[in-house]
Amino acid sequence: MTTLAGSISHRADELFTEYQHDIHRRTDRLFAGLMGFQWLLGIAFSLWVAPLTWAGAESSTHPHVWAAVVLGGIVSIFPALLGWFRPGERSTRYIIAVAQMLMGALLIHLTGGRIETHFHVFGSLAFLAFYRDWKVLIPATIVVALDHMLRGMFWPQSVYGVLVASDWRWLEHAAWVVFEDLFLVVACLRSIAEMRQTAERTAALEHEVRTRQEAEQDARNANARNDAILDVALDCVVVVDAAGTIVQFNPAAEATFCYGSHEAIGRNVGDLLVPAAKRDAYRAALNHYLSAGAAMLNRRVEVVALRKGGAEFPVEVAIAPISTVGVPLFAGYLRDITERKRAEEELARQTRDLQDAHDTERHNAAQLASLVEELRITQRQAETATRAKSEFLASMSHELRTPLNAIILYSELLQEEANDQQAAGSIPDLQRIQSSGKHLLDLINGILDLSKIEAGKMALELEHFDVRGMLDEVTDTVGTLVQKNHNTFTVRCSDDAGTMYGDLTKTRQILLNLLSNAGKFTSNGAVSVDVRRAANGGGPCIEFSVTDTGVGMTVEQCRRVFEPFTQADVTTTRKYGGTGLGLAIVSRFCELMGGTIALESRPGEGSRFVVQLPVEMIDTSASVYSPAGITNRIPEP
Amino acid sequence: MDVPAPSSERQSATIWVTALAAFWLASAVGGLYITWAYENGPGVAATAGPQWPGDTSLIAANDRPTLVFLAHPQCTCTSASLGELAEALARAKQLPKTYVVFLKPSSMPDGWEKTELWHAAESLPNATIVRDEDGREAERFGSVTSGTTLLYGANGSLLFNGGITASRGHAGDNAGRASIVDLLNHVSPVTTATNVFGCALFAAKKS
Repeated sequence: MTTLAGSISHRADELFTEYQHDIHRRTDRLFAGLMGFQWLLGIAFSLWVAPLTWAGAESSTHPHVWAAVVLGGIVSIFPALLGWFRPGERSTRYIIAVAQMLMGALLIHLTGGRIETHFHVFGSLAFLAFYRDWKVLIPATIVVALDHMLRGMFWPQSVYGVLVASDWRWLEHAAWVVFEDLFLVVACLRSIAEMRQTAERTAALEHEVRTRQEAEQDARNANARNDAILDVALDCVVVVDAAGTIVQFNPAAEATFCYGSHEAIGRNVGDLLVPAAKRDAYRAALNHYLSAGAAMLNRRVEVVALRKGGAEFPVEVAIAPISTVGVPLFAGYLRDITERKRAEEELARQTRDLQDAHDTERHNAAQLASLVEELRITQRQAETATRAKSEFLASMSHELRTPLNAIILYSELLQEEANDQQAAGSIPDLQRIQSSGKHLLDLINGILDLSKIEAGKMALELEHFDVRGMLDEVTDTVGTLVQKNHNTFTVRCSDDAGTMYGDLTKTRQILLNLLSNAGKFTSNGAVSVDVRRAANGGGPCIEFSVTDTGVGMTVEQCRRVFEPFTQADVTTTRKYGGTGLGLAIVSRFCELMGGTIALESRPGEGSRFVVQLPVEMIDTSASVYSPAGITNRIPEP
Repeated sequence: MDVPAPSSERQSATIWVTALAAFWLASAVGGLYITWAYENGPGVAATAGPQWPGDTSLIAANDRPTLVFLAHPQCTCTSASLGELAEALARAKQLPKTYVVFLKPSSMPDGWEKTELWHAAESLPNATIVRDEDGREAERFGSVTSGTTLLYGANGSLLFNGGITASRGHAGDNAGRASIVDLLNHVSPVTTATNVFGCALFAAKKS
């Protein structure tokens, strides 16, 4: 409070000083004008009263006119300029006070010393009191006193009308002036006191106005902030009074309810936004609040609202009272939850579907488990059957080969005897017996090998052997067969082939089978074998590539060519012979030795088999056979 | 509140204003002194003889005093003197025979003399207004300054010679008027001669 009072007092001082300065300035300007006016008046008066002075018939300008012009100018111009250009200065008003009294003396002179003109002195003092600065009266009074004193001394007749006057008579005249001064001083002091009171009242009023303006500005700022918040709010904000009349309707509400704010404001919210069927409940809730306090205030509830055009839609609403002086207001915050409801329904449906799917999945899983169990049983049965079959085949093959070898041997003996006896007619039949026996023996040997492999009884006999030497043996053995159909036979072995640690017999068998097939299915073409050292994912290996320009195979034939008892087609056996076990044995040998075999072939263009066997084999013969490591690189048709 | 200004400028302005104010005050006081000196500078006094002049066309009264007031009709200062004359006559217990003699140079047209002074003089009691052609009567009374007032006794002797204003054109109490009143009321006057304030009745003779 002390600070506030001090601030107001300080402002009152400023205002008081401003008032004083303003009065001084205005009065200075008035006197500036008055000086000019008096000057002109003196000239006019002198011209009117005594324009000429005479000497007989001759006349000339009266000295009074010159006095009015020159002396009046001297007396008037300087203070008038000060009043105009330096208003408000203390020196200005003091000089004006002196000048005004000098002007009085001059006017008195110009009017012939008329006693009425002496009222100019009293008028001037009153005019000087306009400054509300009683000190200004002092120099004016001094001038009057000096005027009377000096003229009383030198020209008493002009002042007192007597030739001889008392030396102190000027005091009597001065006393009358001072007498008037007393009233003027009192008037000045009172005026200053009133001015001071006015300044204090104005300062207090300014403070009050400023405080009110600041409060209004704060209120405007708050309203602007609230409006800005409401404008950008995503939720609808609808403010209503106790009667339910809408007093505020934000842009989100406009967009949601399709009403412009100018349409909504002033309308009853129950009539405008509440469906007809819900209005009674709405009014009951409003009345309930007004009579007994909040029931749904500050809670979020879901209700049905009415959009312009009559469409109903679900909204979530929270109502909060607004603290205001006078009429209570309520702010309703509404959110269109149509999409949310739809999403909830969709979620519920999807949940149901998911539950159904889950049930189905559980059912399928049970079925699958049952199937797996059945498969496991079937597999065990199959494995048992396979082992039984293999054991059967092994024993059966052994039992078959013994008599078959006897048949072949005896058929050769019979041929020799027929040659000796020159019974040529029986030789072809004996040859057919021998040929059929050998074919049957090959077939049995193949079946026996496959059975051993599948039964896990095929053992590897690992040894170090020279690759080139093994290749030479093979090509010598099979060279005649390959070249029988007028084929060229090319053997290429790289110098770094070196030795490998593996099963020499099975490696040799692989190459024999591949080259005999190439020679069998190629006529007037070329067969080649390439051997080189290579590397695959398992380490260093020896790669054998057997290439021919024979009949080739289709994609489907390539897929089946490594299966037992399978040839390119049914005509192949008839045309080319064979058991259909050669490539099956090759592929299984490769797998057994930890190698791979790949095939590229095109019908009519030939085939290329690539076998990669590790340089250092590991005995895996004890493991159960698994058909892997076979790659058919089948070109696109 | 004085207008705030830089102290150096303010000091300089104060010095200038003070100097100008001093010069201004000296000029004004000096001018007023000159003016007042002129106002209080008397005209040339009349050289009237102690007796009623014999060559005048005016006829003096023998039963009462005769007052002769010589005036320039265009002299504004004389207006105050005429007013004082009226005041004196009003205060006199016995009205003198009064002549108000207005100068009428022959070079000026007729009616030149019929000024407000003339008409004011006509209202004086027992006064005779005389047009003085070329100032002959003034010369006979030895007067050269407007406002000269001469009072003769019933026996023709000069009782008073002077002006009846305190200064040039200045109305109000003065020794001349008081003496005239005293003489007309048979009281010993303060003085029998005063300064005359007014226009010259005759132009200065050119050499």
